[in-house]
Order: sequence, then structure tokens, then C-alpha cells
Amino acid sequence: MDLRARSDDARYALHLVRQNVLVLAGTLLVIFYLVISLTANYLVEPSIAYKFDFAQSYCWSNSVISWGKNIEPCPVGINPVLGTDGFGRDLLKMIVLAIPVDISVAFIIVAASTILGVVLGAVAGEIGGKVDEVILRITDIFLAFPGLLLALVFAAIFGRTMQNLIIAVLLVWWPVYVRLIRGQVLSEREKNYVEALRALGTSRTRVLFNHIIPNTIYPILVQSTLDVGGVILTFSALMFLGFSPNPALPELGNLAADGIGHVFTAPWLIVFPGLTILVITLAFNLIGDGLRDILDPRLRR
Amino acid sequence: MTFVLFGISLMVFYLARGFPSAFAPWTQYVTRKMNAQQIQAIIEQHGFNKPLWEQYIYWLRDIFQGNWGYSNWANGLPTYEVFASRFPYTVELTVAATILVIVIGIPLGILSAIRNNKVSDHIARLVALTGYSTPTYWFAYILQLVFFYYFYTLGLPYLPSGGAISPTLAGTVTAITGLPILDGILAGNMNYTLDALAHVILPAFTLSFTSLGYLARIVRASMLEVLKQDYITMARSKGLSEKIVICRHALKNALGPAMTLTGLFTASLLGGAVVTEYVFSWPGVGDLSLQAVFQGDSNFLLLYALVTALIIIIANLTVDIGYAFLDPRVKY
Repeated sequence: MDLRARSDDARYALHLVRQNVLVLAGTLLVIFYLVISLTANYLVEPSIAYKFDFAQSYCWSNSVISWGKNIEPCPVGINPVLGTDGFGRDLLKMIVLAIPVDISVAFIIVAASTILGVVLGAVAGEIGGKVDEVILRITDIFLAFPGLLLALVFAAIFGRTMQNLIIAVLLVWWPVYVRLIRGQVLSEREKNYVEALRALGTSRTRVLFNHIIPNTIYPILVQSTLDVGGVILTFSALMFLGFSPNPALPELGNLAADGIGHVFTAPWLIVFPGLTILVITLAFNLIGDGLRDILDPRLRR
Repeated sequence: MTFVLFGISLMVFYLARGFPSAFAPWTQYVTRKMNAQQIQAIIEQHGFNKPLWEQYIYWLRDIFQGNWGYSNWANGLPTYEVFASRFPYTVELTVAATILVIVIGIPLGILSAIRNNKVSDHIARLVALTGYSTPTYWFAYILQLVFFYYFYTLGLPYLPSGGAISPTLAGTVTAITGLPILDGILAGNMNYTLDALAHVILPAFTLSFTSLGYLARIVRASMLEVLKQDYITMARSKGLSEKIVICRHALKNALGPAMTLTGLFTASLLGGAVVTEYVFSWPGVGDLSLQAVFQGDSNFLLLYALVTALIIIIANLTVDIGYAFLDPRVKY
């Protein structure tokens, strides 16, 4: 791990980022959303999530967008920018409160599944033999399920607390990393520097964790970035289908679920939270996709 | 492959029967009016008080005799009947979605590759990634809102908002295959077929939107690879027009990996159409599995999990064999 080589790498990567409009846009969007999630509690008073006022539920008073007939106008004096939801809370403020919840949950899940998947995959690749077989078969079992369905079954069985939902989605996402890192480890093992390190007497664990894994970090980085978006989609879909621990929880899928029975009379409840999810996921996917192009070893130098 | 199936059945069985969960496995056989004695009688009748591995062996014996258990919430019908009556609808939806993915995704990918790094490439990439990032339920509701509600209020011809066939036309054609479109064509009833088509457009487009982008990216990547090859340069230097170079020479080789991957999509679409079917009230198997999860019906979930896993495993195998077929360098 030569530090100067790494910093040259990083500078070249930044240069490529600046050149590519889409990746730049994605980066700016992600920074924007991260700033919002860090300052959300200062922008909006967090306790309004639990102040219900049913006199003003499902109303819209912004004259910029007209949703057609059958839309209830808000009582005089209340002017929510994006309308109100079923509990009478201002939708824009709820979305701002929901963004940190979604993003932090997504980061936790991706970090945990990356660590779990990388460790298991590295162990499988390094030790080989029976351990490799067993880990691969278990991974196959998990991969043979479509993602959302697996998360659904786990969520239904584990129960509806936030922790259980995080574990449910985690169990869906970790197998991808095992396959990824195992292939990388298998190919890195054959290289000369590993042989040199073993000749020097370095233990296998040290070689694996201090040398091989850092050299295979790029595909993991790309996959993690892409997965943040995917996890947000899966998690909010779970919430949308009704698994949220608390109907008033500020979370984008939960806010959208509120609008299921009122699609034609209060469409903003589904449109705006969904749009937010789309933009956040798109931003992370833009970065991940751009990273994949930038870090492609064949396109550099 | 059998090991994976066994593993899945073990895992789902343990989750459904053994894990201390919100749903007791006898939930669907028990009504609220029963007292503790009757509940105990039902537990003993179905064998839920035996040790877990014994239950598993009984369950295996039952399946191999063709008895998949009963779904009490679906009027006590046998599970495989409930599954089989709805499965063709999911197949219809999946096939329609796959056709859309191929028809839209491949040209998008080719366009991206030809105009690499120009504006149209960036736009196509944006469209592809947007498709990849859209929440399915959001897209489904937007389509419903626009094409059903707003078209209706504006007086335009509107697409139906749900179901597979209009209630007025349902049952007017004998179901041979179970897929409404095919049945209509086989019976020669064009009204029925057109109605079924109108019903399938929106859900199929919703389903396909997510995978479109992915296929387009893959076609773009493999097309770029192919276009760098020497024989393409040769064809160009012979004086052939760009169109012939791409259509006749590059396309065949670039599409190979993409087509085999379409098999994988189809398999995962089959399993994952849960949300789309829920939003459009499509009478398919995904919607049913959602109900099964909420009702705690372990029999149906086991059947659904095994069938879905089987389809995905077969699709994976087909993709692997397809790769070996297309690329003689890959050996097994």
C-alpha cells in the first residue's frame, strides 16, 4: 500500500469525476442530501411528527400544482407547501425529517452487510475446501430468492421493530459481497506479492486482511455505493407494504403508504415521498456507476 | 441444485414453524371463537406439537405424495390449486414485461454504445439509471394516476386501473392456457384479447422499467467491447456503411451475453412482481404471497418459495449453459 500511489490515484479519480457531468451531478446531490440529513433536526422541529391534527388531513393549498377535482383545500391560515398527510402534518416537513432516517438506515445496512460479506467471502477464498463449499452453498440459498420477498418473509416473522427490519434487509444484501470478494481473493492469491509476503513469514490472516483485501477494495466500493440506493428502495418498499413499526414514523415509504387509499383524492402523498426516494437513489447510482467507469483499470493511464 | 432446494425448504420451514415469531403456525386453522381445548386439539391433529425435525419429515412425506397442505384463508382449498389458478396470470405479466425490456432496453443500449460519450449517451444513461432507481410502487401509482384518472377526467381514452380483464368480459372465454391474451387469441375473440392487452400494458411497463436500464447498460458495455475488435475495423475499412457494420457484424456478438442475462431477469421478475401486482390488483401469485405473509400461511409460502427458487436456479443454469454455448472458450 504505497501512500503516494494512492493519493495520485485519488487525484486522477477526482479529475475524471469533474469531467463527467452526470457523476458530478450525482455527487452534488448526495452531498446535498447528506447535509439535509445532518441538519434536519435543526431545519424542522422533530416533535411535529407526533402532533396530529385531523381537521387538516389530506388537504392541499399550494396553487402552483393543481391535482384536478375532488381535492380538499386546506382550512384558512394553514399553508403547507406540499399538502398534508393523513395525520394532518405538513408533508414537506415530514419528508425533511424522513430523509435522515432513510439514509442512516441505508448506511448501517450497507456497512454491516459489506463487512459480513467481505469477511465471509475472504475466508471462503483463502481457506478453500470444505469451508468454501459450505459458505458458497449458504450464499446460493440466499441468492435463490428474489430480494423483496426474502425481506418480506423475514420482516413478517421477526416482528416489526426497527432493529428487526434492519436485520431483515441485511440478510438479503450480504450474499452479493461474498461472491464478489471470493473471486477477487482467489485471483489475488496467485500474484507474486502474496508469495513474497508468505516467504517473509507473514501469517495468512495478516496477508489476507492487511494486503489482499485493501487491493480489492475498488469493486467493493462500487458495489456498496450502488447498494445504498438499492437498500433504500427495498427498505421503503417494506415500509410501504405495511411493516413499519409505527404508523406515524417519519420514513419515506411509510409516508407513501399513507396515501394508498387516497390515490385520486390526495395523490401528493405518494408522488412526493416517492420522488424523493427516486432522486436519492438516482444520486447514489450515478456515483456508483461513475465510480465503476472511473475505477476500471483498463481505462486508466 | 437439490442441496439448494433442500436448504431453502429447511430455512423457510424453520422460519415458518420453529422460529418464535409473531405468527403461530396454527394461526390459520384457528378461529377466534375456539377455546384453549379446541386449539390444543387442532395442534395435535396437525402435529404441531411434535419436535421440529419430525414435523419436517412428515412434511416431506406429504409433499412427495402430492399433498401440499391447505390454505384456510383461501376457502380451505389445497395450496397447489390456489397457486396454480393464479400462476398463469403472473406468467403473462412476466412475459409481457420481458418483451418490453427487450424491445426498449436493447435499442437504448445500442444507441448508448454508438454515440459513446456524446449527449445522447448521457441522456440514455440517465434514463437507464432512473429506471434502475425508481421505487416500483411509486411508478405504478403515477402510471395509474396519469393514464387512468387524469385521462378519464380529461375525457381521453383511458387505460384500466387494475385487474387482468374487465368484470363484464370475465369468464366469457374458456380458459385453456389460463393467460387471458392467449385464451382470447385461441378462442378467436378479439374483444377479449384487446381488453386483456389494455389491462396488461401498465403493469408490464411498471415491471419492465426497473430492468430496462440494467439491460441497456449491459448491452452498451458489451457493444463497446465488440466495437473495439479488429474485425469491425476490417469491415469499416472495406467500405461498408456504419449501419451494416453494426447490424450485421457487431450486433450478433454483442447481444449474446445480454440475451442470456434476460433469462435471469425473467426469473427474478417472476418472483418479485409482488408490489406491482399489489398496486394493480393483478390476480397473480405475488399478490397472493403478500396475503399469505400477512395471514401467516406457511403452507403457501413454502410452495411459493420452492417454486420461485426452482425457477431462479433453472434460469441460472440456463444462463451458465448459454455462456458456455456462446463462448467456446468457457469450458465445463
